[in-house]
Amino acid sequence: MKKVTIFGLSLSLPLLVWQLLFFAFPLVFLVALSFWVVENYRMVPDFDSVNWTKMFSRGVFWDTYLRTLALAAGASVLVSILAFPCSYGIAFKLSANLRRLAIFLMVIPFFTSYLVRVYSWQIFLSDNGILNAAFGLVGAGPYTMLNTDFGTMTGYLTLCLPLVVLLQVFSLMFVDRTLIEAAHNLRCGRLRTVFLVIIPSARVGIVIAALFCFILTFGDFVSPLYLGGGKPPTLSIMITDTTKAGQQWPRAAVIAIVMIATLLAVAFSAIGYAYRKRA
Amino acid sequence: MAETLVVFDDIVKSFGDVIAVDRMSLDIRKGEFLVIMGSSGCGKTTTLRMLAGLDAPTQGEIRLGGHRINELPTWKRDTPMVWQSLALFPFLDVLRNVEFGLKMRGTDKATRRRKAMDWLERLGIAEFARRDISQLSGGQRQRVALARSLVTEPEILLLDEPLSSLDAHLKVRMQAILSGLQKDLGITFVYVTHSQSEAFSMGDRIVIMSRGRIEQIGAPVEIYRTPHNHFVAEFLGSSNIFRGRVVSVDGGLVSIETGRGRFRVTGSGAGTAQEGTSTVFVVGNDRMVLSQDRPADAGNFLEGRVIGEEFIGATVTIHMETGDGQEIRAQKSHGEIAHLNTNVGERIFASWQPESAYVLPGEIDGPP
Amino acid sequence: MNRNRLIDWGLRAYVVLAFAFVFAPIAASFVFSFNVDRFPSLPLGGFSLRWYEAIAEDPLVWEGLRNTMVVGICASVISTTLGFAAAYTDFRYRFFGKPVYLALALLPPTIPVVIMGLAMLAFLSRVNLSGEIHSVIISHVVMCSPFAMAIIRLRLSQMDPSLEAAAWNLGAGEWRALFHVIVPFARPAILAALFITMAVSFDEFAVAWFVSGLNETLPVRVLGFLQGQVSPRINAIGTIVFLTTMTLVILAQVLLMRRLGRVEEMPRTDEA
Repeated sequence: MKKVTIFGLSLSLPLLVWQLLFFAFPLVFLVALSFWVVENYRMVPDFDSVNWTKMFSRGVFWDTYLRTLALAAGASVLVSILAFPCSYGIAFKLSANLRRLAIFLMVIPFFTSYLVRVYSWQIFLSDNGILNAAFGLVGAGPYTMLNTDFGTMTGYLTLCLPLVVLLQVFSLMFVDRTLIEAAHNLRCGRLRTVFLVIIPSARVGIVIAALFCFILTFGDFVSPLYLGGGKPPTLSIMITDTTKAGQQWPRAAVIAIVMIATLLAVAFSAIGYAYRKRA
Repeated sequence: MAETLVVFDDIVKSFGDVIAVDRMSLDIRKGEFLVIMGSSGCGKTTTLRMLAGLDAPTQGEIRLGGHRINELPTWKRDTPMVWQSLALFPFLDVLRNVEFGLKMRGTDKATRRRKAMDWLERLGIAEFARRDISQLSGGQRQRVALARSLVTEPEILLLDEPLSSLDAHLKVRMQAILSGLQKDLGITFVYVTHSQSEAFSMGDRIVIMSRGRIEQIGAPVEIYRTPHNHFVAEFLGSSNIFRGRVVSVDGGLVSIETGRGRFRVTGSGAGTAQEGTSTVFVVGNDRMVLSQDRPADAGNFLEGRVIGEEFIGATVTIHMETGDGQEIRAQKSHGEIAHLNTNVGERIFASWQPESAYVLPGEIDGPP
Repeated sequence: MNRNRLIDWGLRAYVVLAFAFVFAPIAASFVFSFNVDRFPSLPLGGFSLRWYEAIAEDPLVWEGLRNTMVVGICASVISTTLGFAAAYTDFRYRFFGKPVYLALALLPPTIPVVIMGLAMLAFLSRVNLSGEIHSVIISHVVMCSPFAMAIIRLRLSQMDPSLEAAAWNLGAGEWRALFHVIVPFARPAILAALFITMAVSFDEFAVAWFVSGLNETLPVRVLGFLQGQVSPRINAIGTIVFLTTMTLVILAQVLLMRRLGRVEEMPRTDEA
């Protein structure tokens, strides 16, 4: 069936047209927008690099960029490490039925309002919130947790943990059990087996999970704003501020393009690393 | 001679660089049970799919009842197929599966139901009409697939290795059902398989294919007794194959010089051999005579050592190897070899009558 | 041996802890929505429905709910339709540029929502489509259709490819085979895709916030509350949102799991 048919076209074209028009084109338009200028609070089509030079010459932009990068990278490592024992437990220490149930339950929060969950963390973390009340009972605290990097990380963990656990579980489930038994049989201890056999075997899934964590946290503005306090900001907060507070969309576009470029670079190197031939 | 129903006229089918069917011409007769046999990748399934209209030939013409059907899509042909996977619709019950073809043809509901029930009854599965496919056994599913294809009363039915997933015992029963059905209905069956036993037990004619070409067409006995060429003889595995040079032709008696000696051949096909040409002759496994001592008659025999034996039902196949490494097979009944010592490594002689040897017509005038 | 069992139980306890972390905010939101105190903390105050009454009296909440419903239903129906067609395209056809096609179909969820929001806002206002409820629908279809496509594509990969060919062979043209074979086979996945995309749309606040203008959806309303002062009204709304999306996601998963079990059932080999 090599022929192009009306049947085939009417099934393949709708999504293509939609995503070209409302996904690819807006992103391309963003690039054009970054060269426009703002005159008298109105945007005028132009081809001027003023937005780029302005943004790049600001120290605060670079500070924010590095801070965002550090936060996202830190979150990827932290979430991956915190998720691993959980994924390992689900993949190897639960019965098949419990494992199915665990996966079933982990899928739910992934699709359930992140915004409200972040709000709920405010109740836990605020100065007279649940956690400090609990600490008070044992005579500790109060601690300042809201509007700190700890708050931001808690939010990131809320955002990413379910997805990272799911991806890690799927990759661990496909590790050949006989490899593990062979390692034990060769007198490789439990912990050494984890590091020498299991993690290398599940590398692709673990790296991809960390990559997704990076993508999600790098672009998130809710946790750093409502749990981290927003000061100093992240790139995403900068975009919302620049967009919502006036007509400086071209400068927001510059930030957005820098973010996409960063994400692409990180994604390609992560995927390259994940699928690298073993030496 | 029966009327011709389907004609494959110089058909080529290629997928990219791969040629699946290579300049094939074939006539299929009305009311015959035709089996297309070959190993996987020989082009047999592609041939069937072209007839069904699921693949279009790259070159050549297919005619059904005298009309060119190359461009006719499968849904406008009346060439129902029974699939290897059966391809029963899992979301429909048995009855609705069988009704499907009629529904697509716009048959009204009452007629549809009646015809479908008739077929379910005929195949003895009427009680399962309202069952889900997943609740049926393999044999029952097979019958549903048959009923679904036959309910539209086609004049040809295509079957693509439909029995390959059944166990041996069920296979034999389904073979009987298929043969009976084909005779009762009097329609053409085109049946693709890699199994010799299915082909020889059901086929009126058998087509043997290899690498996209037809190697031989003929009735089962004809193919079994007189394979056309080296490929067919080897594919059937029922003969010992010898390659040699014709040194003399004297009427029906041909002398052929092989690396292992000179043999006399008087079987059919021998008369066409030309002196000085290279040729191939075969001796059926069951025509070999075994003895522990050198045969008295200094005729056709070979000396070797036993390398193993294989028990299939009531017969034993002794495998022996000659000094220069050719393997010889002899198929005997248990009684025939009771007096022989057939332990591995024992010296043994295999001999045969000149009239048991048969020169392959497809190998005459081959390169020396 | 004892040490091994200790480690095993330690790991299981860790799993429970992880689930506690994930579900704690959801549970807290639920509990505090019925708590009478203005500032949520421990110990709990009395049971009260006052926050539900407060949101029930808020016309902005009602309007947000109405907008969310309209957007959710439209976005899920459109994105499931488009996702189904694209999944079928990927299932059946091979063509030049297919990797690009698949990238366009699947990549949107990996683009940060603020960037999507900015791009959609800039583009839609340029073509005068911004600030309306259909702007939100358009953006949500972009974000939801990859989920629909992935779910339905997965289901199609479990289908015997000769099923469709069998339908053609029995006289069904391509369209009739599509509706009589592909759609019924994929039905559980199609329903699951409807539910999942609706859940995604129900919870999406960022892009909606950028492009919705005055036609705020419920999550955008919540964002507004968050920017104001702490109010247990968010817990009340949150509980409703949680219950809705959890129901949708659970339904979708049950649909997908139940059907999977049935297809994998092998034929019985005994002859009746």
